[in-house]
Amino acid sequence: MENVLSILFCLTLLYLVITARLKTYVGILRAQGILLSVIIIFPFLRHLSVHILIIPLMSLIVKAVIIPRFINKIIIDLDVKRIIEPNIQPFNFLLLSVASMSVIFIMSHVLSGYTPIETIPFASAFSAIVIGLLLIIFREKLIVHVVGFLILENGIFLFGTSIAAEMPTIVELGALLDILVVVFLMGIAVNKISSTFTEQKVTVLGGLKD
Amino acid sequence: MEILIPLAILPVAGFIACYFVHNRKAQYIISLSAAVVHLACSYLIFAEIIIPAESDLFRFDALSRLFLLILSHVYFWILLVSYSYLNRPAMVKEEKSKKFFFAMLNIYLLANTLALISNHLGIFWVASEMTTLSVAPLIYYYRDKESLEAMWKYLFLVSVGIAFAFIGFLFLALSAGKTVLEGQQLLVSLFTLHAKQLNPIWLKASFIFVFVGLSTKIGIAPMHTGDIDATSNSPSPIAALMAGSLRGTALLGVLRVYQIMAPTSTAAFARSIMIIGGLVSLFAAFVFMFKVNNYKRMIAYSSVEHLGLITLGIGTGGIAFFGAMLHTVFNSLTKVVLFLNAGNIHKAYRSREIDSVWNVLQNMPWTGWLFMLGFFAVIAMPPFGIFFSELMILQGLLSRPLLLAAVLFLLFFIFVGMSRNVFRMLYSNSPNNHAAAIDDKFEITHFTSLVLLILLVILGITMPPQLHSVITQISKDFGILL
Amino acid sequence: MALRILQGLLPFLFILGLSPLLVGLINKQKALLTGRTGAPIWQPYYELIRLSRKETIYAKTASFVSRLAPVVVFSAVLIAGFMLPVGYTRPLLSFNGDIVVFAYLLGLARFFQIIGAMDIGSSFEGMGAAREATFAVFAEPIYFFTIGSLAFVSGYTSLYEIYLSIRLDNPSSLVFIIVSSISAFFLMVTECSRMPVDDPNTHLELTMIHEVMILDNSGVDLFLYQYSSYIKIMIYGIYEVLFFNPFGMQNQWLGFSLFIVLLLLLSTIVAWVETMIARLKMKNVPQYLLFATAIGILDLLIYTFVK
Repeated sequence: MENVLSILFCLTLLYLVITARLKTYVGILRAQGILLSVIIIFPFLRHLSVHILIIPLMSLIVKAVIIPRFINKIIIDLDVKRIIEPNIQPFNFLLLSVASMSVIFIMSHVLSGYTPIETIPFASAFSAIVIGLLLIIFREKLIVHVVGFLILENGIFLFGTSIAAEMPTIVELGALLDILVVVFLMGIAVNKISSTFTEQKVTVLGGLKD
Repeated sequence: MEILIPLAILPVAGFIACYFVHNRKAQYIISLSAAVVHLACSYLIFAEIIIPAESDLFRFDALSRLFLLILSHVYFWILLVSYSYLNRPAMVKEEKSKKFFFAMLNIYLLANTLALISNHLGIFWVASEMTTLSVAPLIYYYRDKESLEAMWKYLFLVSVGIAFAFIGFLFLALSAGKTVLEGQQLLVSLFTLHAKQLNPIWLKASFIFVFVGLSTKIGIAPMHTGDIDATSNSPSPIAALMAGSLRGTALLGVLRVYQIMAPTSTAAFARSIMIIGGLVSLFAAFVFMFKVNNYKRMIAYSSVEHLGLITLGIGTGGIAFFGAMLHTVFNSLTKVVLFLNAGNIHKAYRSREIDSVWNVLQNMPWTGWLFMLGFFAVIAMPPFGIFFSELMILQGLLSRPLLLAAVLFLLFFIFVGMSRNVFRMLYSNSPNNHAAAIDDKFEITHFTSLVLLILLVILGITMPPQLHSVITQISKDFGILL
Repeated sequence: MALRILQGLLPFLFILGLSPLLVGLINKQKALLTGRTGAPIWQPYYELIRLSRKETIYAKTASFVSRLAPVVVFSAVLIAGFMLPVGYTRPLLSFNGDIVVFAYLLGLARFFQIIGAMDIGSSFEGMGAAREATFAVFAEPIYFFTIGSLAFVSGYTSLYEIYLSIRLDNPSSLVFIIVSSISAFFLMVTECSRMPVDDPNTHLELTMIHEVMILDNSGVDLFLYQYSSYIKIMIYGIYEVLFFNPFGMQNQWLGFSLFIVLLLLLSTIVAWVETMIARLKMKNVPQYLLFATAIGILDLLIYTFVK
């Protein structure tokens, strides 16, 4: 079942690569939040208790409700143009993403031979990390950078579950809180940047250099 | 666990108090008392007068104790001067930033403390992300274009970097596959104990990810840019705090992973990575020391240089490792002196450009002389501590003559570049020949600088036995016998 | 023997007889979803009857290709239809390697439709043909990645046997069903010129793809073209629905009724999608198709490494 959900996760990534609407980005973040929350419940299904449900529930609230809403709010408040502005041909971007995903899948398959990893979740997680980075590199809008960062974080989250590294509850909650605050701060920064600079693009941030 | 009350609960209380109390003086007194208690506690822990009970999540080994003392020392002095700093006449924009200045500082102290005493790498990760978050609003203190850009870049780069470090930590968990550690928590003490069983390939991967990820925060080239922007555009107490303690906190994460690797066959790999990182940082500092025209950025590059030297020393091992640990102590104190006086110069000349600052020595005698002494300290002039620690690092390099030659070459030219800039600021004549009307009274920043400079000399010459024994203990923990 | 032939004839009759009905169903549901009453579901039959009665007129510039093309298109599509199992009986045509033949029969149909359109010599038809050819380039990999990955895993190269090899006791089959049905849906939308790639209802020549190619055909030729486009929808519908094959494997009658239900469900989904989504800009279509191709590649990756 974990595999099925990871594949769905991969599909959201592919959709993320081709889409050009900011709204879809937010929708994808929401979908990934739900998927991840469901994925982390699975190992515990046999001995379900209220205590165990805390983390999935919190991550559902943070990743699928609060963060997408916040980003949506920024998009509406700042009246950002609803279409992203890539600085690469969409076709090439898709090609790059698919190529890197292929390499990741092949590598994970090779690795799974001598380490206890589950190939599909592992590869999906790594794909998310890479695609998050690619979004940061090849998109100009700052708000898309924030989304890219969140995709990267989602990937790491899935990665953590795929290698079954259990963290204490306090660490999981702390990590969620950290991500929430990072997004919050980045949102404020984007807000300030749009009022200070003419555009909300990464190209305006070139003032500091030697 | 009682020890967490002064170390962690108190800053939380300080944060809450500062959030609700709006009187700046009251905020200052609350935060300062938290800082004093923290300093006292970390000194007592450092000197092993209090030996806290170790738990799974927190530990107080020699490394933690040393870094904790550095943190609380730097933090105390910064807090001491920040009240007078906030009371300086300023533009309207900054007034808003002053409201939460002390509150954020308390969070900063909490986050750094948790990161330094954590035994669980997950906690380290959460806490170090928290340090970034606490310092980011403080970088935006001046609320202008440059500081906004600096804050965004720092926040973004470091967040991504820390995310990479987390991948590294997860690789560490992977390396435990098929050993007794499988399924165990990521406890440094546990992993160090069974390090020899870990899978070397995953260990190497883990180290690369952690080192590259955290070097955004340490300021190791080529990931140093965000750090440079942040330190140069934030107010000088924050810059001093970042250079003095935040970089150390990130360095601790790398050291923890290295500690796990030290007894295994992969140690040589980690060491060569660190040597490369150190050399590249030295090189970057060397290049930019000649290009730079902003004196705060210049000091930030000097931080890159010194952190590079420290990683180089750790990578070299032996006596150089000892020197590197000592260097962290001295470098932190020196950076505080430099940044505080740079802040004074900035206040007087209203510019961060080297070219628009002239004749500081005559216009601002106190600041000028202290800045010059700080400069002597940072380029390792003999009576100051850095001279001795740098000497130890170089001594450790003696067995690798080529590396030694490269390092000496770079250090010499960094010295040339930096002194050219500094002396131009201190001595050059006014471009339009009018004497600047700048009053430079003896104030608390000068007092702090003076105390720290004296401390640097004393520490360097006498080498207190406690410091010596703690660093010896650290070296022993890393499997280095002196 | 007689039973086998009867069983083989069943799909023939099914595809030939019911494909206009499927289109009628889609159109009816679409009308209902947009709040109109819509034409009766038998409308496509009336259309076909009407067309078959009309006189066939050829353009002056048209050569023998124009006369040949509709027949070739119709027969190629029909033969492709024989390769798909309807209701889990063995199809009329089933041999090793028929996945390739299936693809190229449809390719042949498309080829003749394109040259038939170009033969007439009108610039509109030429434009439509160019678009059809462009999108076909992007659509073909979708098919090959989807079916190819399954052929790779199962070790069979015949559609019937591949479908039989999907089993539910293999946990990753569920993944396969999800992923493949998504990319098959994309394929269907493209090949049958439905939304969001092409709008079958539009009558603006500049934006059409399929409809513009048959603009100058009439009478029996148009009848054949229309009929083959109905059959094509049926073929791709079956192609998609069969991924859910394992659910009805145990009992033939249960399987057959499940098959019908799924086909009806598919018609609803197509209608729903066409109501909800606007037609894509022409320049965005390749991207959309590449997305489906990427899904196919993902599929292949998964199945190569996680047998």
